[in-house]
Amino acid sequence: MSVLTGNDLKNALAILQRYPDKRSGVMPLLYMVSRVEGHVTDAGMKQVAELTGLTAVQVQSVASFYTMFKREDTGKYLISVCTSISCFLLGADGVLAAVEDETGVPDGETGHDGMFSVEHAECIGACGGAPAVQVNYELVEGVTDDKARGLCRWLRDGRPELVLSDEMQQLFGGTRSFEWGPPEASGSSGPYPAFGPYGTAEEGK
Amino acid sequence: MCTRGGAPLADQVAFSVDGRQMEADSGELLIEACEDNGVYIPRFCWHKRMKPVGMCRMCLVEVEGPRGVALVPSCTTRIAPDMVVHTASDTVKKAQEGVLEFLLINHPLDCPVCDRAGECPLQDQTMAYGPGESRFVEEKRHYTKPIPISDLVMLDRERCILCARCTRFSDEISGDPLIEFIDRGNGTQVLTFTDEPFASYFSGNTVEICPVGALTAVPYRFKARPWDLEAVESSCSDCSVGCRVSVQASQNEILRINGVDSDPVNHGWLCDKGRFAFEATTSEARLDAPLVRDHSGDLMIADWTTALDAAAERLGALGVGEIAGLGGARSTNEEAFAFGKFLRAVADTPHLDCQLGEGLDPQFVVGVTPRATIDDLDTAGAILLWGPDLKEELPVLYLRVRRAATELGIPLVVVHPRRTGLDDVAAHKLAYRPGEGLDVLASIAGGNGAIGELLAKGSVVALIGRTGLSEDQQLAESVGAFVRDLPEGKLMPLVRRSNTYGALDMGVAPTLLPGRTSVRSPEARAALEEHWGPIPERAGSGALGILEGLVAGTIKGLVLLGSDPVSDFGDPGLAARALGAAEVVIALDTFASPSVEMADVVFPVLGFAEVEGTVTNLEGRVQKVNQLIPGPGSSRAAWEVIEDLARRMGSSLGFTSAAGISAEIAAIAPAYSGISWERLSVGKDRVGVVVPAEEGSQPLVHIPVAGSATRAPDGLALHLARVLYDGGLRVGLSPSLARLAPTAAAYLNPTDAAKMKLDESMRVRASTNGTSADLPVRLDASLAQGTIYIPYQLADTVGLTATPTITIEAV
Amino acid sequence: MRILTERMEAHPADSHTLERYRATDGYSALSKAFGMAPEDIIEAVKTSSIRGRGGAGFPTGVKWGFLPPDRFPRYLVVNGDESEPGTFKDRQLMERDPHQLLEGIIISSFALGVSQAFIYVRGEYPKSARRVQAAIDEAYAAGLLGADILGSGFGLDVTLHLGAGAYICGEETALLNSLEGRRGEPRIKPPFPAVEGLYAKPTIVNNIETLSNVPWIVNNGGVAYGMIGPDGSSGTRMFSLSGHVAKPGNYEVVMGMSWREFIFDIGGGIRDGRQLKAWIPGGASAPWFTPDLLDMPVTIDDAGKSNSMLGSGAIIIMDDRTCVVQAAHRIVKFFSHESCGQCTPCREGTTWLEMVLDRIEHGQGRSMDLDLLLDISDNISPGLRWPPAMTTICPLGPSATAPIVSIMTHFKDEVGSHVHEGRCPLG
Ligand SMILES: Cc1cc2nc3c(=O)[nH]c(=O)nc-3n(C[C@H](O)[C@H](O)[C@H](O)COP(=O)(O)O)c2cc1C
Ligand code: SF4
Ligand code: FES
Repeated sequence: MSVLTGNDLKNALAILQRYPDKRSGVMPLLYMVSRVEGHVTDAGMKQVAELTGLTAVQVQSVASFYTMFKREDTGKYLISVCTSISCFLLGADGVLAAVEDETGVPDGETGHDGMFSVEHAECIGACGGAPAVQVNYELVEGVTDDKARGLCRWLRDGRPELVLSDEMQQLFGGTRSFEWGPPEASGSSGPYPAFGPYGTAEEGK
Repeated sequence: MCTRGGAPLADQVAFSVDGRQMEADSGELLIEACEDNGVYIPRFCWHKRMKPVGMCRMCLVEVEGPRGVALVPSCTTRIAPDMVVHTASDTVKKAQEGVLEFLLINHPLDCPVCDRAGECPLQDQTMAYGPGESRFVEEKRHYTKPIPISDLVMLDRERCILCARCTRFSDEISGDPLIEFIDRGNGTQVLTFTDEPFASYFSGNTVEICPVGALTAVPYRFKARPWDLEAVESSCSDCSVGCRVSVQASQNEILRINGVDSDPVNHGWLCDKGRFAFEATTSEARLDAPLVRDHSGDLMIADWTTALDAAAERLGALGVGEIAGLGGARSTNEEAFAFGKFLRAVADTPHLDCQLGEGLDPQFVVGVTPRATIDDLDTAGAILLWGPDLKEELPVLYLRVRRAATELGIPLVVVHPRRTGLDDVAAHKLAYRPGEGLDVLASIAGGNGAIGELLAKGSVVALIGRTGLSEDQQLAESVGAFVRDLPEGKLMPLVRRSNTYGALDMGVAPTLLPGRTSVRSPEARAALEEHWGPIPERAGSGALGILEGLVAGTIKGLVLLGSDPVSDFGDPGLAARALGAAEVVIALDTFASPSVEMADVVFPVLGFAEVEGTVTNLEGRVQKVNQLIPGPGSSRAAWEVIEDLARRMGSSLGFTSAAGISAEIAAIAPAYSGISWERLSVGKDRVGVVVPAEEGSQPLVHIPVAGSATRAPDGLALHLARVLYDGGLRVGLSPSLARLAPTAAAYLNPTDAAKMKLDESMRVRASTNGTSADLPVRLDASLAQGTIYIPYQLADTVGLTATPTITIEAV
Repeated sequence: MRILTERMEAHPADSHTLERYRATDGYSALSKAFGMAPEDIIEAVKTSSIRGRGGAGFPTGVKWGFLPPDRFPRYLVVNGDESEPGTFKDRQLMERDPHQLLEGIIISSFALGVSQAFIYVRGEYPKSARRVQAAIDEAYAAGLLGADILGSGFGLDVTLHLGAGAYICGEETALLNSLEGRRGEPRIKPPFPAVEGLYAKPTIVNNIETLSNVPWIVNNGGVAYGMIGPDGSSGTRMFSLSGHVAKPGNYEVVMGMSWREFIFDIGGGIRDGRQLKAWIPGGASAPWFTPDLLDMPVTIDDAGKSNSMLGSGAIIIMDDRTCVVQAAHRIVKFFSHESCGQCTPCREGTTWLEMVLDRIEHGQGRSMDLDLLLDISDNISPGLRWPPAMTTICPLGPSATAPIVSIMTHFKDEVGSHVHEGRCPLG
C-alpha cells in the first residue's frame, strides 16, 4: 500500500530530482510520510526505500537516528519542552512538570485521547528566550509554568487546526531571544516541522 | 605503475614500532603493517576484507607527529615514511583498558552459556588488555534475547558491541543490506526490518566475523565448545568455486564449517549452503552398508564381499564397449582418476562422462585459453558475465565479482535472460530471450554501442557459462570465440558442480584423457597406454549418448560414481528409462538418491571430510582436501571400491592408497605434473596451484568456433535455471536449509502475461516434452519478452524436461 | 560597529524581504563580485582573516584554499544546524536577513566554482527554513539564482535541506552523511570535506554567520574587515547570551572587550541581583570560566589560552544559586543523548558519566565516584588537557568531559559535599 500518492508522490519525485543522488531524499520523504500517516510507519518506510533505492531497514536505520521522525502515533499537538542547560537554568523543569500535569500526559508519552504528546527536548535554539516550548515544532519563548498551563488549556479547548508560532507567543510567550519581525501565516498542523517544499506547511488566515 | 581500479602499487617504506625498525608498503594500514611485522594490535571493528571504520577505538596507538604525539586508530591510519609508532605506551594501554571497560559495562556476564566463549575476541582481548575489576554499578542495557533475525541466525543485542561488522558485511560485501543499526547513541542496536528477515545467502559470514556471541547460527547453537572441536582445512564441495573451509567436528560428527581466508579464492567468505549443507552428512538417507537387489527386486543389505562379487560378475559378463560410467564431478581428483582408469583400462569402454548434459563441452571447459583466474577479476579492464546468475549458482564468485565492480570500480557487463544478483552493480545489463544469444552477441561484437565499445577496449575477463539448463551449450563457444578476439581477453568457463573441472582433468569425459589431453591425440593415447595398457581408441558417448545407448540396448551396464541422472539429467524421463533398461546398474554413492534406488548393486562410499585428496576449482586451482571423520557404517573410499572391482574383474588398477593415485596423476597427467599432496599442504601453495602447473604442460588447446549455437524456435522460450536452495538432495537433506527452498512459480514478463490474459492470481500448466508442472503465475518485468522463467528442481518443478521451448495453458 | 545586524535593527518589519534588502544596498556585493576574478574574492576572504563561526574557528580563506584544483563538481554546504546548547544566532540571521546569507552563498559559490549549494537547517527551526526558502524563491524569481545569474554566465542552484533532530549533524562530516540520506555519523578525517565531501566530491562547509559576512568583505575589502577587532579575532561576531543574565539575547560585537564589560555592561549583569558563579564562554562543549577571569579580553586566542573556547559564541551565565552538579549533569545528559554511538568511549562513556552524576545529584554518590568521573573522562579525552585529546572520532565525546573537568577543577568541594553529605549544599 502506497503512502505517498497523487500530488504527494509527484512532489516526492520532484524532491528526489533536486539531489545528485536520490538517497538524499530519504529525510524529506520521511517528513512527507509523517504528514500523511501522522508518524513514520512501516509502509511509509518501505515506500521511501523503494523510491530511493534502499532496503526498508536502511531507511529505518536513518529514520531512527533522528528524534523528529516519530515511530509511534503522536498526539494532535506535540509539546516539546526544552530542558537543556539555558532553559534548565531558568526553570524548564517546572515548565515540563506543569505541562505534564495540565495535559495529564507524562514526558515521552501520548495521551489516550490523542490530543497531546509531551516530550522534553534538547536545546531548541531559543536560549535567549528561555524557558522555551514548541508545539508541533512551532516556538513559544519566555514561558512560565502558568503560561505553559494556559497554552495547554488553549490548545485543548480551542483545538486549533493550525498551530501558529506568533499567535502562541502573543498569548503565552514572554522574553524572546531576539525581535521576531512581522508575524507569519504559515504553521503546522501535525507533529512535524511545517515547511512548504515538503508539503508539511499550511497557511493560516 | 597502477593496478587498474585499485591503489597504486606501493613502495616499501621504513617505520618504527616500539623502537623496532620495520618495513611495509607505503600507504598500508598501520594495523596490518604492524601485524605483518609481528606486532598484534587488538581490534574489534576492523576486518581486513572490509573498509575500515575506526569505530570501536580498540586499536588506538600513539604516533609521533609534528605537533606532538597523537592517539590514532591504527585501522584508519596509513603508514608514512619514518613514522614512529608506540603500541604499548602507558597512554595506549590506558586507552585499551578504557575501551574494554566501556565495552564490558553493558556486556552480559553470560559467557558460561555463550557459544562464542573460548573463541571470543572480546573475552580474549579482555584477558590480554583489559582492566581488572569493573567500576560500573549501574543497570546494564537490556533487550529481549536472543531474537531470530532469519531462519539461520539468532541475534542477542545485549552481547553486541556495535562493531558494525555484520551490517557492513551485508551492505559492502554481499550487497543485501537487511541488517542495520537502529536508533542512536547508547540505544544503538542491530536489527532487521519488522517483516524483512536477514534472508541473505551469506548470513553465516556475519556469525563468523561477529567478535562476540551476538550473532549465532541456529545449526550450531549450543552444539559444542570450541575446545572440544577438532578441525581440518579443506575445500567446500558445494560448488566449483572451491572455497577454503575449516571443517570442525566433535565425536566424529561435523558440527560446523567456517571460512578460511584464501587470498586468491574466497577471502574467508562462504555461502550459507556451503556452510550449512554438512547437515546432510548425518541424514537418514546416508548410505552405510552395501545393497544388492535380490530376486524379488528389493535392495537388501549385503556384506562387502557379496556385493563386490555380484557387481564384478555382472559387469564382467558384458562385452567391450557395453559398459558406461557417469560421475566423478563430486569426487576427489584421485577418485575420479581411478574411475576413469577403471572404465577405460579395465572395463574397456570409451563411454564416460562426469557431466550430465547440464554443463559445457569438456574441451571448452579444460582447453580454452587464455584462462582467467578469480584474481584476474581485480585487475580486469572490464568483466563480462554471460552465464548463470552467480548469486544462485556460484555464490562466492558472485562476491568476488561484486567486489571488483564496487570497491575496485571495474565495469561489469551482465548478459542473462532476467535479473541477476549483480544487476545493481553492473555498468550494463542485457536481458535476452534464450535462443537469441547469437543475435545479442552479434550486436555487441559489432563494436557499436556502449557495451561493444567498453569490451573493445580490452583486458576483458569473461565468465562464460550457460544461463540456464535449456540454453544451447554451444552459445558459450561463440561467446568464447568473441572474447578471444578481444585484446587481452581472458576466459573462465563456468560449470557448477564442485569438482567438474577436476574430473574433466582426470579424463572423465568421452573426449578427454587425464591431464588435459585429447583422446583424439595418438601421442597422448600412446603415452597413457604405457602406464595403463591398451585403452579404447575412439571417443565414446557423453551423458546423452550413454542414456540413449542404454535405452537402445547398445550399452548394457552403467556405473555411477556420485551421480544421479534420474534427478539431474535435463530429461529426467529419458534417464529413468535408461536406468530401467540397463542390464546392470552399479552405484557408488553417499546418499540413496533416486538413481541409487534403481541400481542393482550399491556401494556406500566416503564423502566430504571423510577422505583425503585433491580437488580442482573453476579456475583450475588444485587444492588439498582433508579427512576429519570416519564415514558412516562400513562405507569405504570410492577408489578402494573401484580397485576391488577391478581386481575381481581380473586386472588391478595398482592402487593401494589415495596418495599413490595422486602420485600417478602427477606422473602421467601433463597439466598436473609436479603437484603433490605435500606441496599443497605447506607454504604458499596451501592456497592451491592453478593448472597447468608448469609452463607448456597443457597439451590441449581448444579454439572455440563462433556462431554454432542453435536459435530458439518461435513460441515461449524456457529459461530453466537453478536457485541456491533447490529441491536437490544436499539442500533437501539439510534440515536448516530445506525450509529455505522457495516455492516454484512460472515467471512471465508482464507484457507477455497481459497478452496471454494471465495474472498473479492464476496458475498455469507448463509442459515440455511430455512433462509438465502446475505453477502459480508470477510477473517479472526483468524477464526478456517471449521468455518464461521456471526455477529448476524445486519441489514442484522436479521432472520438468529442459527443452528450448515450452507451452503453457491456464488451469 | 555592526556588519550583520544593522539592517534587521533598522527595518524590523521587512528586513527579510528582497525589496528591503535591495533598498539597503543588498546584492551590490554580488554585482561587484561578478566583476572580480574568483581568485581575488578568495584572496579578500583570506586577507580578512575571518575565522569560521561554527565553533572550530578555522580561517575560512585557508579552508577555501584546500579545494583541489580542477575537480568538479564541487559543493558548498551551509551549516545551519545550530544546535550547540546556548546558541541561537544563526537562527536570527536566517530569519531576519536571509538575503544577506544568500548573497554570501552566491558570491562564495562563484568564487569557489560551485554550481550547487545546500543549506542544511535543523529541523527544529521550521521558521528559519521557511524564511530562507522564501528568500530562495524570491532570488530565483529575480534571476539571482538559477542559470546565468544577472547575466554573468554563472549559474547556481540552492537547495534547503531540513535536519530532523540530531545535534551531531552540526559536525560537518555528519552533516554531509545526513545530507546524503544516511545516519548522521561523523566520518573519519582525513579525507577532509574540501577533498572528499558530499557524494565524495570536494566540498566546502561553512557556517551561516561566516557566509553572511562575505558580502561585507567583498564590498569593503578583506583589509577593512581584518582591521576590525583584535588580531586573530577579526570582524564582528554574534554572541548568544543566555542563562542567569539580565539581558539575554544575541549581540553583534567587535571582540576584544573584557568579559566583565560583556556580561555586566552589555548583558546588564546577573539577573535578580545575584552573584556570578561561573559562565560558559562558547557553548555547552566549552569548559567553564569563573569570575577570576572577568578582566580577560573576549578573544578566540585568550579563551584558548585559558583552556576553553569561544566555540559557537554561546555564553551561558550561571549565578550563585546554581548547583554545579545539576548543571553539569544537564550538559552531560545532552551529549549522551546526542552521541551518534559509533565510538565506544563516547557511546558508553557519556552515558556512564550521566549515570554517575545522576547518582551524585540524588545523594547516592560514593567517594570513589569523584575519581571515577575524572577517570571515565580521561578515557574519553586522555590527559584531560586543552585542546582536548580524543579517543574518539569527533569532539562530541570529549565535549562531555568539559563540564566534569570544570566542576572538578573549580567546585570540587561543592561536588564533594554532594557525595559526603548526600545532598546539595545549596539546599
Ligand atoms: C559536535 C559538533 C557540533 C557542531 N555543530 C555545529 C553547528 O551546529 N553549526 C555549525 O556551523 N558548526 C558546527 N560544528 C562545526 C562544524 O563541524 C564545522 O567546523 C563548521 O560548520 C565549519 O564552518 P565554519 O568554518 O564557517 O565555522 C560542530 C562541530 C562539532 C564537532
Ligand atoms: S565521538 Fe561520539 S558523536 Fe563523535 S563520532 Fe564518536 S560516537 Fe559519534
Ligand atoms: S579496529 Fe580500529 S577502531 Fe575498531
